[in-house]
Amino acid sequence: MSRWSYFLRRLVLSIPVILFGTTIVFMLVRLGPIDPAAAIVGMGNPQGIERIREQLGLTQPLWQQYIDFMINMFTLDLGQSWVIQPGRDAYSLVASYAPRTIWLGFWSVVIALFIGIPLGFYAGLNPNTGGDYFASFGGIVWRAMPNFWLAILLVSVLVQSQDLLFGFNWSNWLVTTDILSPPNLRFLSTPLEAITNPIDWWVSTGANGSFLAALKQIAPAAIVLGSASMGNEMRIGRTAILETINSDYVETARAKGVSGRSLIWKHVFRNALIPLVPIITGEAFLLVGGSVLVETVFAINGIGYLFYQAALNADLPLLGALMFIFILITVFTNILQDLLYTLIDPRVGYESE
Amino acid sequence: MSETQSDEEVPLRDRIAANPRPALQWLAGAIVLLAVEFGAFIGVIIQLALTVVRLLPSNPGAAALASAGEAAESIPTLLTRGLIPNQGYQTASGEWMGTFLGLEPAYAWLLRVVLIYAYAFVWLGWFWVGYRWFRDHYRYADWTPRDDVVDRLRSHRWGQFGFVLVLAFFVLALFAPALGPTTVDANIQSPYTHYTKYYDDEIESVSNVTVGTANLGSTSQGAGGENVGPWSYDDYGRFHPFGTLTDGKDLFTFMAAGARISLMIGLVSLMIAGFIATALAMLTAYYKGLADLAAVITSDSIQSLPVLLVLILASAVFGNTWIANLYNGAVLLIAIFSVTYWPFFWRALRGPALQISEQEWIDAAKSFGQKPRVIMQKHMFPYVVGYLLIYASLTLGGIIIAVAGLSYLGLGITPPTPEWGRAISAGQPYVATASWHISLIPGIMITLIVVGFNALGDGIRDALDPQSEGGEETGGEAAVAGGGGA
Repeated sequence: MSRWSYFLRRLVLSIPVILFGTTIVFMLVRLGPIDPAAAIVGMGNPQGIERIREQLGLTQPLWQQYIDFMINMFTLDLGQSWVIQPGRDAYSLVASYAPRTIWLGFWSVVIALFIGIPLGFYAGLNPNTGGDYFASFGGIVWRAMPNFWLAILLVSVLVQSQDLLFGFNWSNWLVTTDILSPPNLRFLSTPLEAITNPIDWWVSTGANGSFLAALKQIAPAAIVLGSASMGNEMRIGRTAILETINSDYVETARAKGVSGRSLIWKHVFRNALIPLVPIITGEAFLLVGGSVLVETVFAINGIGYLFYQAALNADLPLLGALMFIFILITVFTNILQDLLYTLIDPRVGYESE
Repeated sequence: MSETQSDEEVPLRDRIAANPRPALQWLAGAIVLLAVEFGAFIGVIIQLALTVVRLLPSNPGAAALASAGEAAESIPTLLTRGLIPNQGYQTASGEWMGTFLGLEPAYAWLLRVVLIYAYAFVWLGWFWVGYRWFRDHYRYADWTPRDDVVDRLRSHRWGQFGFVLVLAFFVLALFAPALGPTTVDANIQSPYTHYTKYYDDEIESVSNVTVGTANLGSTSQGAGGENVGPWSYDDYGRFHPFGTLTDGKDLFTFMAAGARISLMIGLVSLMIAGFIATALAMLTAYYKGLADLAAVITSDSIQSLPVLLVLILASAVFGNTWIANLYNGAVLLIAIFSVTYWPFFWRALRGPALQISEQEWIDAAKSFGQKPRVIMQKHMFPYVVGYLLIYASLTLGGIIIAVAGLSYLGLGITPPTPEWGRAISAGQPYVATASWHISLIPGIMITLIVVGFNALGDGIRDALDPQSEGGEETGGEAAVAGGGGA
């Protein structure tokens, strides 16, 4: 089987997966005991409830509702919010909440990568030394800590950084920022200013915010959200290094006189990165789920926060739409992961699934 | 494995009958061990039965069970609050009245805790002795592959470290009523119908006060006077090993009871998910083709839903309905965990099961005319079940985190039932104050337990499959072990 027919097969297989996943969401959302009409107008108004039910199409038979729901989702007509911001398009809601979550997710992946992998490689290159034990054990404990708890600790320490960290004041460090507030991402809408007006774009704390301020605001949340992945990357990185360094081709390269540095960089590192691919793409799963708790603790009004609010207020159509988006993200990250895997490592067989 | 019967083998029962001494000795030891804690043992069983009965409509026999539970409390038991009491009062002369041997409550409590843990470890040792005797006296084979697994586990320090942590957690959950310095009923559920004695300095005599009133006087809310920290006494002479909650309730009692419910949710959902996954893995590995494809699609669909979000969604959708109130909301959580976690297990079992199904002995069994069900049960299942253990260990930690995360958000287990996440949430404003213990201790406990489960999982993996070196961890496994990102 060639790479492309494998890829095609994965795409075709993903259709029933998305269909079935969306069906589960429909069942959860519509078959549950919540009457969305009552959630909108309140319990004391029977006529109003009846009218709203009619308007929303809830009086139709269930199979009709199901078909409508599926068709709407698959034609990417995500409907409107009913309770949180009645009448507002799910699209515009997602568009206004998503940037902060994407910013958070991006940095949590990047920070985790740039701390986790080097630490793992360090531990792998110096196995069974004090540094290795410290890094490995630290990584395991770091990974085991519940995200929301870590977030609470970090917030408390940063809020009182003046007292706890020997006079170091996080809020005023580099640029003045609030700890419990969403990052201001308006600077991103004017990317050209990064060159034309660099100081404002990169550093200042004006009305549009700046790169540095937004990064500093998101960093604690990103570190927390990436904590589990960081631990995993470290662990896998260490094992991968140990495995490659003991493999025959490295031995051969060493025997023919390849210098230490070139050996590490050219022969060990590049191959050790392969098993890290599924870990990095698998993070999508953790990020989507974890964003709810982390965003709640850090008061970032992103997608996770939106989902939580929608769940609390029984905004069913919005919940359905958000779940559908999450399903798409997970399924396509999985396909991307397999594709990347086959690109990076030609030895991966196409035959098993 | 060793009892696998063939035509020439004598059944285990006959082997024991031929040489009954070691078996009887072991049994006698076990009976003695059981007898000293018989009341607690019956108590746990009645508690379990009561929980199940309360889930059924119209509660058949709940009253009878409840009175049986009360009767069980009067069975003499060695390690109880009644025999080693830690609640008492300090007279003006500094003497402690009502505690065990007049010891300070802290030491009386500590003695009880140490004895209970020692008791649990004696049981563990006795099981090990039993296994050794079984090996020496009753097993046919001098050596089986299982022996190697056990030996590898015996030299795996990291796995043993995890095992000890996990065991400590299990004992905490199992002996929760006897371990707490006070009881959930008296201190948390209905404090205003229970009384506590204390020595009132002003009137220079012993007074009675409701636990509720005493709790109000021993709250932990950060500021200097309003704090009862870990390992300290409140104004009413009550000892708090982990300090008190914001409303003056005892944190250790809360944690022990919370451990019970977390463990219950974890174990039951693991059993259900594990059962579904094992059955499916057998079927798909045996029949392959369409059955496999259908299972792949179903599991992929379920895996595409982020677990934590499904939990939040379901808790919100089913909140305030009869389902959400069954066993304080645990039943709903168990159902969701079972449905969302089996695909991860199945994925983990699929590879090994497929490998086994390609073996010659399966072919031989087929040509021999054995029924598919028997082949799966006898010739495939035993080789696959070990892998289930690895994932079960990783997943239990993840479930504990996820349940705590949910109750942190105010979903899941209904108050006032103790749940660790709620303590973390209550202590959130006081993390950087004198009342740091409310949030920090539960978090540290969760971290320790999750580390323990992960270490135990590593140990089992290395013991079962020494070649793997832990390199096969996937994103899915990481997601499960992390409680879906909670």
